[in-house]
Amino acid sequence: MTLIGPLVLAAFLFCVGLYGVMARRNAVLVLISVELMLNAVNINLVAFQNLVWTGDADATGQVFALFVIVVAAAEVGVGLAIVFNMFRNRASINIDDADLMRW
Amino acid sequence: MEAGLQALDYAWLVVLLPFVAAVVIAAFGRLMPLKGSEVGIAAMAIAWVTSLVIGFQTFANGPVDALEQTFWTAPVGGLTIEFGQYVDGLTAMMLVLVTTVSLLVQLYSREYMHGEDRFTYFFAMLSLFTFSMLVLVIAPNTLQAIVGWELVGVCSYLLIGYYWREKSNVDAANKAFLVTKFADIGLLVGVIVLSVGVSAHTDNVFSISETIELAMAGELSSLTVIMGCLFIFLGAVGKSGQMPLHVWLPDAMAGPTPVSALIHAATMVTAGVFFVARLYPVFIQELVVMNVIAIVGVITLFFAGFLAIVQDDIKKVLAYSTVSQLGYMMAALGVGGYTAGIFHLFTHGFFKALLFLGSGSLIHAIHSNNMSDMGGMRRYMPWTFVTFLIGSLALAGFPLTAGFFSKDEILVSAQIWADNGLAMGTWVFWLGLAGALVTTFYMARSIFLIFFGEHRGVPARPSARTVADIEAEEASGVLDPQAEGEDLAQAAHDPDTSPTTGLGGHHAPHESGWQILTALVVLAVLSFPVGLAGGFLWDEVGGSTERNFETWTATHAIEEATYPFLPGADEHSEEGGEGEHAEEEGADEGEAAGLPGGPDDVALAAGPATTVLAAESAEGEISNHVLHGAPEFHLDVFVLALIAFLAAVAGAWAIYGRGHRERDPVLHMGGLTTVLVNKYYLDDIGYRGVVVPIRDHLAPATSWSSNVVLDGIVKGVGGGVKRLANVTYHTVDQKIIDGGVNGAAFSAAWWSNKLKHLQSGDVQRYAGAMLAGVIVLVVVFAAAR
Repeated sequence: MTLIGPLVLAAFLFCVGLYGVMARRNAVLVLISVELMLNAVNINLVAFQNLVWTGDADATGQVFALFVIVVAAAEVGVGLAIVFNMFRNRASINIDDADLMRW
Repeated sequence: MEAGLQALDYAWLVVLLPFVAAVVIAAFGRLMPLKGSEVGIAAMAIAWVTSLVIGFQTFANGPVDALEQTFWTAPVGGLTIEFGQYVDGLTAMMLVLVTTVSLLVQLYSREYMHGEDRFTYFFAMLSLFTFSMLVLVIAPNTLQAIVGWELVGVCSYLLIGYYWREKSNVDAANKAFLVTKFADIGLLVGVIVLSVGVSAHTDNVFSISETIELAMAGELSSLTVIMGCLFIFLGAVGKSGQMPLHVWLPDAMAGPTPVSALIHAATMVTAGVFFVARLYPVFIQELVVMNVIAIVGVITLFFAGFLAIVQDDIKKVLAYSTVSQLGYMMAALGVGGYTAGIFHLFTHGFFKALLFLGSGSLIHAIHSNNMSDMGGMRRYMPWTFVTFLIGSLALAGFPLTAGFFSKDEILVSAQIWADNGLAMGTWVFWLGLAGALVTTFYMARSIFLIFFGEHRGVPARPSARTVADIEAEEASGVLDPQAEGEDLAQAAHDPDTSPTTGLGGHHAPHESGWQILTALVVLAVLSFPVGLAGGFLWDEVGGSTERNFETWTATHAIEEATYPFLPGADEHSEEGGEGEHAEEEGADEGEAAGLPGGPDDVALAAGPATTVLAAESAEGEISNHVLHGAPEFHLDVFVLALIAFLAAVAGAWAIYGRGHRERDPVLHMGGLTTVLVNKYYLDDIGYRGVVVPIRDHLAPATSWSSNVVLDGIVKGVGGGVKRLANVTYHTVDQKIIDGGVNGAAFSAAWWSNKLKHLQSGDVQRYAGAMLAGVIVLVVVFAAAR
C-alpha cells in the first residue's frame, strides 16, 4: 500500500494552514488555520500507524490522533474565549492590533 | 611554692596600684577635694602594706626560690617576650624600700607642694614614677626591666623639669634625660648581647632566671659575659650616677625637693645598683667585670665626696653625697659584697630620703637652698634638726645607726676580697674608709652651718613681731596659696636668690607642719631598725634558724654562685646547692676560731657566724663562693671607722663649730678648691668634648645631610612619583580604564536600541521567524546526514 496520497494531502493541508496562520489578520481565521495544521498532522498519524504496525491490533497512531482532536477542541475553546474577550475590549479581532507586548 | 608565701602572688598589686592611682589622679584629680593627693596616698598605703606583708613573709622564710609568673606573652614568633613578676627576697626588699619612701614622700608633698598650680599633675607623676620603678623591680626578664628603666627615665625628666618656667630647670631635665639615655644604650646593647648568648640554649632569651642559670653553669662564653655585663654596667653607671656619668645628678636638684628625695633614695638612682645585683651571678663570672665595677665604684665614692665639701647649696651637698654612697654600693658589688651592696642600698634609701626631706623642710622655711642663708636653725626647727641630725649620723656611719652596719659590711667585704689576693679589695677598703671620713666631714660641716651659730639670711625678729602677726601671715599664706607657691617656686629653686635681695622681708623661719614632720620622724625612727635588720641582733628571730638581711635577700642562685676565677672552683661546683650546709659549717668553724683577730687575720675576723668565704679560709682553703654573709662585729673595722668619724667631726668642729666664718677655709685651698668647685671639670669636659662637637659639627652636618641629601632624595622620589601618577591618571585611568567602561556601557546601549525592534509584538512575525528557524534546522540536519 502506498502512502503517497495521504501524505500529499496532509502536506497540502499543513501548508494551507500555515499560510492561513501567517497571512490572515482575522483571529478566528487564524484559529481555523491552526485546526487545519492539526488535522494534517492527524492524517499523518493515522497513515503512518498503518505503515508501521500493519495489521496489528495495536492502534497507537489512531489513539494519538484522537488525543490531538480532543486537545484541538480544548485549544479552540480557549482561543475563541480569548478572541471573544479581545473583541469586547477593543471592538476588533484583528491580531495586528494586539501588539501590547511590543517594545 | 613554699608555705607561708601566699602574699607573693599579689606582688603585682603593689605595681598596679600606683599606676591606677596615676591614671585616676590625671583624669579626675582636679575634681577631688584634696586635688588627687588622697588617691595617690591611699593607693601607695595599700601597696605599702602589701609590700610589708611580702617583705615579712620572705624575711621569715629565709632564702626562697623566686616566684616567677607570667601574665602576658607577646604574640610574636621565635623570641619569648613576656610580662610577669619575679618575686624573691631582693624584690621584696626593693618593694618595701620603694613603697615606704614613696608613701612618705607623697605625704610630705601634700604640705610641701601646697598651692602649686600643678599640684595634681605632681601627684600623678609621683605615682607614675613609683610605678615605673616597681615595674623594673618586679621584672622577670630584662625586656620588662628595660621598660621600667626607661619609664623611670621619662618620669624623672618630667619631674626634674617640674618648674619649667625657668630655663635652667628645663636644661637640668634635658641633661638628666640625655646622660641617662646615653647610658641606656649601653643597657640595651648589654641585654641584647646576653640574650644572644642565651638564645643558643633556650627560646626565653630575656629571662633573668635562665640567664643566671646558664651563666652559673658556664654555658655562656666568656666574651658574651664580659661584653654583656660591661654594657649593662654602663647603663647602671648612667642611672646610678657613677663617675663620670654622675653629672646629671646634682643638676637634678632643680626638681622639687620631694622628687629629689624620691630619685635619690628609692626610685631612680638605685635602679642601676639593683639591676647589677639582680644579675649578680652573671657579673661574678668574670674578674674583669668585677674589677671594672669596683674601680668605677671606688673612684665615685672617693672623688664625689670631695665635691660635697665645697657646695653651699644643701641639696647639692646631699646630691654629691648620694653619688658617693652609690659609689660605695657599686664598689661593694665589685668586691663580691652582694649583701653589703644592697644592704647599703636599703639603708641609704631611708636616711637619704630623710636628709632630703629634712633639707626640704629647711628650704620650705627659709626659701633658700643655701647654707650660708641658714644658721642657728635648731632653735626654730627643733624637729627638723633632730631628724636631720639622725639622718646625718646614719649617713656618716655613727655606731648603731643604719649606715654604720651597711658601711661596715662593705668594708668587711673589701677586706675579705683583699684576703683572697685580689688587690681591688685593699683599694676599696682604704678608699672606702677615707670616703667615710670625707662623708662625715661634709655632713658635720652642713650640720654646723645650718643648725648652729646665728641665723644669717633672714634676721630673726621674734621680739619685733607678735605671735599674732606671724599667725596672721601664716593664715594669709594659707588663704593665698598661689602667692606662696610662686614665692616658693622662685625661692627654693633659684639658688641665686639671696634672702637679702629677694625675700628679706619674709617672716622668721618656723617649724614645718605635721605632714612634713611625720615623714621626717618616721624615717628618722626607721634609720635605726633597718640597720639592725642586717645586724647580728636579729640572728635569733624566727626560731632556731637565723633570719637577717642576708638570708632575706640571698636567693638560691646567689648562694650557689661561685667565682670561676678563684681557685677551688671545681671542689665547690660539686658542693653547690648546699649553701646552707656550708654556711652552718662555716659558723661552727668561725666560732671555734674564736674572736676577731688583727688586720692580718681578716678572714677570721670576718666572722664567727656566717660567711662561707671566711670559713673556708679558716680551713686553709680558699673558697670561691659569693660572699653573702651578714655583718659581724669586727673590732678592727669598727675602731678604724670610729676613728675616722671622730676625726672628721673634730675637724669640722674646729672649722665651723664656732659659727659661720666669713672665710670658709674649704673655699680657700687654692687649686684644689678651684678643681672641686669646677667639679673636676667634668661638666666642662662634657660640654667641650660632647655637647660642643655635637652642637657645632655633628648637628649641622646631620642637619645638612638631612635637609639636602635626604630631603633631596625624598623630594626627587616624591616628584617622580607624582609625575608618574599624573601620567597614569591621564592615560591608564582616564583613557583606558574609563574608556573601556564607558565604551562597554555605550555599546550596550547602542546595540540594545537596535535590537529592541525585534520585539515587535506581532505574533505572526514571531511565527514566521520560528518557521524560518525550523526550515534552517531541517536543512542543516538533512545536510549533516
